[in-house]
Amino acid sequence: MNKLTIALVAAAAVALPGIASAADQPGMMKKDSYRFVIIPKVVHPWFDLVNDGAMEAGAVIEAQTGSKVEIVYSAPQQADVVQQNQIIESSIATRPDGIAIDLLDASGNRASLEDALGQGIPVTVFDSVPPPGMPLTSIGNDFCEQAEIASERLVELLGGEGEVAIMMGVPTAPNHAIRAECHEKVFAKYDGIKLVATGIDNDSIETAQKQAAAIMQANPGLKGWVACDAAGPIGIGQAIQEAGKVGEVLMVGLDNLPEMLQLIRDGVADSSSSTKPQMQGYWSVMAMWQQATGIETPKYIDTGIAILTKDNVGE
Amino acid sequence: MQRKNRLGFLKNQMMGVLIALTVIFVISAIVSPYFLTSYNMTVVARSLAFVGLITIGQSMLMILGELDLSLGVMAGLCGVVSGILMVNFGLNPWLAMFLSLCLGAALGFFNGIMVTTLGLHSLVLTIGTAGIFGGANLVLTKGVAITNIPKEVQFLGRGDFLGMPVPFVIMIVVLAIASWVILKTPFGRYIYAIGDNTQAARMLGIKVDRVRALVFTAAGTLAALAGLLMVTRLGTAQPSIGETWVLPPIAASVIGGVATTGGIGTPFGAILGASIIAVIENIIVLFGVSPYWQGVVSGFIVVLAISFDSISRRYLRGNG
Repeated sequence: MNKLTIALVAAAAVALPGIASAADQPGMMKKDSYRFVIIPKVVHPWFDLVNDGAMEAGAVIEAQTGSKVEIVYSAPQQADVVQQNQIIESSIATRPDGIAIDLLDASGNRASLEDALGQGIPVTVFDSVPPPGMPLTSIGNDFCEQAEIASERLVELLGGEGEVAIMMGVPTAPNHAIRAECHEKVFAKYDGIKLVATGIDNDSIETAQKQAAAIMQANPGLKGWVACDAAGPIGIGQAIQEAGKVGEVLMVGLDNLPEMLQLIRDGVADSSSSTKPQMQGYWSVMAMWQQATGIETPKYIDTGIAILTKDNVGE
Repeated sequence: MQRKNRLGFLKNQMMGVLIALTVIFVISAIVSPYFLTSYNMTVVARSLAFVGLITIGQSMLMILGELDLSLGVMAGLCGVVSGILMVNFGLNPWLAMFLSLCLGAALGFFNGIMVTTLGLHSLVLTIGTAGIFGGANLVLTKGVAITNIPKEVQFLGRGDFLGMPVPFVIMIVVLAIASWVILKTPFGRYIYAIGDNTQAARMLGIKVDRVRALVFTAAGTLAALAGLLMVTRLGTAQPSIGETWVLPPIAASVIGGVATTGGIGTPFGAILGASIIAVIENIIVLFGVSPYWQGVVSGFIVVLAISFDSISRRYLRGNG
């Protein structure tokens, strides 16, 4: 009996640390509640769709695990990196389980992101490129491919000839800058295509409309438009309609905001090379949740690109 | 005797703002456990520092009876110029920052000279010059940030001194100097006299135009300082710096008891007003207020704060 007791105690002594260390292993710890912060570039309908996806992911985690998930959506009122950094820093003070952010400017956001990581708060980046050298999970699509699809389609519609223009979003936003550069590269491949102007809309529909109207005035021979952000094509579409140039000036848009879809239905835009904002929000929360349980997440999660035309955009 | 009365009035005036700020602090601390953490206090202090510097300049102009709507974009332009000088021209960062401060002083002086020599209304003039400075910013940068600001100057924006953010310490030093100038020197008395009654000040022999030009120059220099500190904070010279620094310094000054008609208020009161705005911006995020409701909530709290300030001032006067 004594020998049996000793044997059991010895077995327990060997097994218990093993059990304890298994609980400490990545993904094995469970919290009763999680709070994740989503910080977009600016208050904007595209980011509302991101938030929808984030809420959906929160509901899925709750249903599957029983842990309560709170999604805090905190958006700058203007696309201003100073304002966005203030939101990051104020959010850090609330000790969330993760922050997902669409960076306005990777370099300008760097100090605040370092603050978050320094405080032990995992950071995930969506729809943008992380600052060089920062090991952050990035969720989005291939921005260059998205732009190339749009500009190649416009070139095809124009039969490889004509004057074209690009509407940039926020020039300092890496994803917008990458798209603009890739549009330019595509246009440069074709001798018959001449890039005559580049507007800057700062992710504002109103600014995009004004810029597009002025560019069309200054370039009466303009035949086609592409854009680098979600607000751009909506403003361009309004300018094309106001100038009475529907069918004369073509546009291949970007993303899937309701106004963009309507422009396709109305024949103002031919099509749109669209990101999937809901999916970006969904996987941002999933990545933050995994990180909060200690699991290492991939460097990049590609949410893909959808080509929206009159045939698949619906009524 | 008159001086004592004025200081007494100022104390009463600031007491209302101080009470309003304290009430907001206490409520925030009760509602959010994160509010009074040292990290969060650092966040609030740092965000206050940049707008605070502009607020000090703007409040001095308002006491003088003037307004400069170009201070925000001036900050952005000076920040961008310092970045260009440091990065593109490889100039010594300290020299580049000094030259940008001089640029801020020159731009402020330009506004002051235009107001004094041509008799232009400062509000209208500075709407125009804001367009010029903002346009120059875009011409220089094409909207693209200047990166790789030398690390040796980044401590000015990112570092701490005695547990406080360096920009906040700089703002406190500037506030102390501005308060001393405005309350303790003849130059400060001239500012109040001009703001109170320009014609009477002229009759008293005060060189009104010179004082005006000097205050515009000082405000321009402070705007440049704010822009430079933000560049060192971000590590990049963003063309958008200062775009959101136009109305908050004016609102802060008014909340802090500076009269829009001139002659009344202090930079210290204006900084108390700026503190209320900084705390509101912070608690909106801490409380998780929806972005679509933020304008409504922050506006409501400002209205509440100035109403509280007005009521408490009446009460204090009644008991004085």
